[in-house]
Amino acid sequence: MNWKQIRLVMGREYITRVKSKGFIAATLLVPLGIVAVYGIGIFIALWESDVSYEIAIHDRTEVMVDSLVALDPELYTDFSDTPVDSLRAFVQSGAINGFIVIEEENITENRPLEMIYDGSGGLTFLSSVRDDMRDLFREERLRRAEVSEEIQQIFTTRIGLDSRILTEEGEEKQDDTAFFSIIGLAMGGIIIFSIVGYGGYLTRGVIEEKTNRIIEVIASSVKPIELLIGKMLGVGSLAITQIGIWLLTLLVLMASAAPIAALVIGMMEDRTVTTEMAQQELPSFMMIPEIEASLVIYFVLFFVTGYFLYSSLFAAIGAAADSETDTQQLALPITAPIMISYFILLQAFQNPDGMLTVVSSMVPFFAPIIMITRLAIGEVPFWQIALTLSLMVLTFYGTMLLSAKIYKVGILSYGSSAKFKDIWRWLRQ
Amino acid sequence: MSTIHPISIRDVSKSFGKTHAVQNVSFDVPEGRIFGLLGPNGAGKTTTIRMINYIIQRDSGSIRIRGEEVGPESQRLIGYMPEERGLYKKMKIGEQLIYLARLKGMGKEEAKERIRYWLERFDASDWHQKTVGELSKGMSQKIQFISTILHDPDIFIFDEPFSGLDPINSELLKEIILEFRSRGKTILFSTHRMEQVEQMCDDICLFNRGRVVLTGNLREIKKRFGENTVLLEYDGDGSFVDALEGVRINNRSTNFAEIRLLEEQDPQELLRTAMAHARIHKFELVEPSLTEIFISTVGEDQVRKEELV
Repeated sequence: MNWKQIRLVMGREYITRVKSKGFIAATLLVPLGIVAVYGIGIFIALWESDVSYEIAIHDRTEVMVDSLVALDPELYTDFSDTPVDSLRAFVQSGAINGFIVIEEENITENRPLEMIYDGSGGLTFLSSVRDDMRDLFREERLRRAEVSEEIQQIFTTRIGLDSRILTEEGEEKQDDTAFFSIIGLAMGGIIIFSIVGYGGYLTRGVIEEKTNRIIEVIASSVKPIELLIGKMLGVGSLAITQIGIWLLTLLVLMASAAPIAALVIGMMEDRTVTTEMAQQELPSFMMIPEIEASLVIYFVLFFVTGYFLYSSLFAAIGAAADSETDTQQLALPITAPIMISYFILLQAFQNPDGMLTVVSSMVPFFAPIIMITRLAIGEVPFWQIALTLSLMVLTFYGTMLLSAKIYKVGILSYGSSAKFKDIWRWLRQ
Repeated sequence: MSTIHPISIRDVSKSFGKTHAVQNVSFDVPEGRIFGLLGPNGAGKTTTIRMINYIIQRDSGSIRIRGEEVGPESQRLIGYMPEERGLYKKMKIGEQLIYLARLKGMGKEEAKERIRYWLERFDASDWHQKTVGELSKGMSQKIQFISTILHDPDIFIFDEPFSGLDPINSELLKEIILEFRSRGKTILFSTHRMEQVEQMCDDICLFNRGRVVLTGNLREIKKRFGENTVLLEYDGDGSFVDALEGVRINNRSTNFAEIRLLEEQDPQELLRTAMAHARIHKFELVEPSLTEIFISTVGEDQVRKEELV
C-alpha cells in the first residue's frame, strides 16, 4: 500500500468536490435554512406574547365575575350591566373577542357554560378558558357546600412526578430522558442521512470514472485498493467538513439566539431585557443542549466507523454498475439494513432498553445508528460498547476485502451492469 | 538471458472464468524500437497489454520490465494509453494533467513545466483553465495523449492508438511515435489494422485466439515468406483469376488482384494464363502483405476476414 498515492487520490476527491457548485450550494443552503428556522422561531416567540384576547363576563349570579377578573384581568372584563344583545354586537364589530353568560344553574346544576366568540385564539385559548372556569366553579361549589378550607386545599392539589436518575456510581442526576431521546433520534438520523448521502457520492464517483473511461489510465498508476481507500477518505473528509460546518452554524445560532431575542424585545418594547429573560420566551430546542463530552466522542466514533463500514460497499456498487440507473437494485443488500435500522431507531426512541434495541445495537450493520441512540438516551454497559466497536472494526475489515475484490474487477468491466451472479463469480476468482 | 529487454514476456496465461484470454504467450520487445502487437479483435492483445501495465494480474508466467517483475514500480516506467480513453469531465485540464503526472510519481513543479511544454507544442496553451466538456473530441484526444507521455517514460504502450482519431491527430501521433523512437524510446502498440504496422513497426507479434502465432523482426519475417505474391493489373475479362489453381486470392477488384502462389507454383505460368485471357498492365512479384502472412500462419479456415479490416 502506497500512502502517497492514497493521499493524491484523496486530495483530488476532496478538492474537486469541495469546489463544486453543488457542494457549496448545499453547504450554504442548510445553514440558511437553520437561520430561517431560528429567525421564524424568534419572531413567533415574540409575536405570540403580543396577542391578547378579551372575554366579556355577563354574570347574573354576581358571585363569579370578581374572582374571574382577579384571576386574569387582561382576559376577563365585567360586562354584567351590558345587555347580551349589545355584547353580540361587540363581538361582531370586533370590540371584544367573546362573552360568557353565567347563570345560577351553572353553579347549582351541571349545566354547561356557553362562550359565544369570534373563533380566534385556537385550542390553547379555549382550553385555558375552560380550565379557568372549571377551577373557579369548583371553588364556588365547594364554598357553598361549606366544605372546610383544608378539604378545599385537597381539591386544588395537583400532584407532580419529578424523576431523577440514580447512576451506578450512586449519584443522582436530573432526568432529561425526553430531551436526550430527541438528541438520540437526531444523532441516529444524522448517521443514516450521512451514510446514504455520502455513500451515494461514492457510488456516483466510481461510475463517473467508469463512464468517463479514465479509470484505466488511473489503474495504470494506482492499485485498485489504493484508489478505493483514497476515495473513501476523500468523501469521508468531505462529510466531516460539511456536517462540521452545519453543526458549527447550529451551535453559533443556539448561542446567539437568546441575546438576539433579548436585543429585539428590548428595541421593540423599549426596555432592558436580559438574556435570561429572553431565554424564557424561546422554545428549548433553540438553546445549546448540555451534552456530555463522552456522548460527542461516541457520536464521532460511531459516525466514522459507520461510514467506513458502509462506504466501501457503496463504492463496490459503483464498480459493478455501468450506469446510475442500475445502482438501485445492486444497492438493495446495503440499503435494506439501513432501512431496517431506521425502523428499529423509531422503536429505540420509545423503548431504549427493549430486547430488539439492545441486540440490534450490537449488530455491526445496525450499530452505528442504534447504538448512538441508546447511548444518548440512557446508560449502556461499557462492555457492550467495546464489543460493538470491535465487531464493527472486524466487519469493516470483511466488507473492505469484499468490496476491494468487486471493485478491482468491476472498474474494468464496461458495457453492462453486473448481476449478482457475476459479482459472486468475481468474489470467487 | 543475455540482454535485458524493456519488456520481456514468458509463458504468460490468463483466464476469465472458462475463457482462456491469453495462453502461454512469450515475446520480447527490443530497446529503442517500435513493436506492433497485432491480431483480430478478441485475440488477447488488450489483456496482454493490461497485464504488462499491471492493471490485471497474470495467472501464470513472467512479465518483466527492464528485468524486474511487473508491479507498482514498473507502472511508473511506462506511459500507457488505453483503447478506452477518457478524462474527468468537470476537472480543469491543467489540474487533471498535474494529478495524472503526480500519480506516476512526478513532482508538482516539474509536471507543470512539462504540461506547459506539451500544451504549447500542441497549440493548446490556453486550454489550461478549460474543462473537457468545453473541448472538441479532437482536442480531448490531444489531452489524453499528453497525459500518457507527460511523465517522460522510456517505454510507451498504446492500445489501438489510431482508433477514433481524426486524420490530423493520427498524423500527429505517428510523427511523435517516430520522434520518440529517434530519441531511443521503446514503443509497443496494438492494432488490428495490418497496414499501420507495415508503415511503422520494426518488430511484430501476431496474436490469434489468445496465442502468439508469429513474432520477430518485420523485415526478416517478410523475407522468410519470400517474393511469392503477385500483384496483377489487367483489362478485360477477369474470370480467369477465379479459375486459377494452387493460389490464394487476397485482394481483388475488377481489374486488380493480389495473388499468393502456393506450393512452388511458377509465376511465369500464371503470367501466361493471364495473358491468354486479358490485357496485362502490371505484373509484379512482391513480399507478402502482413494480412497474407497472418492468414498463411494461422491457416485460412481459422480466420474470419472481416476481423482483419
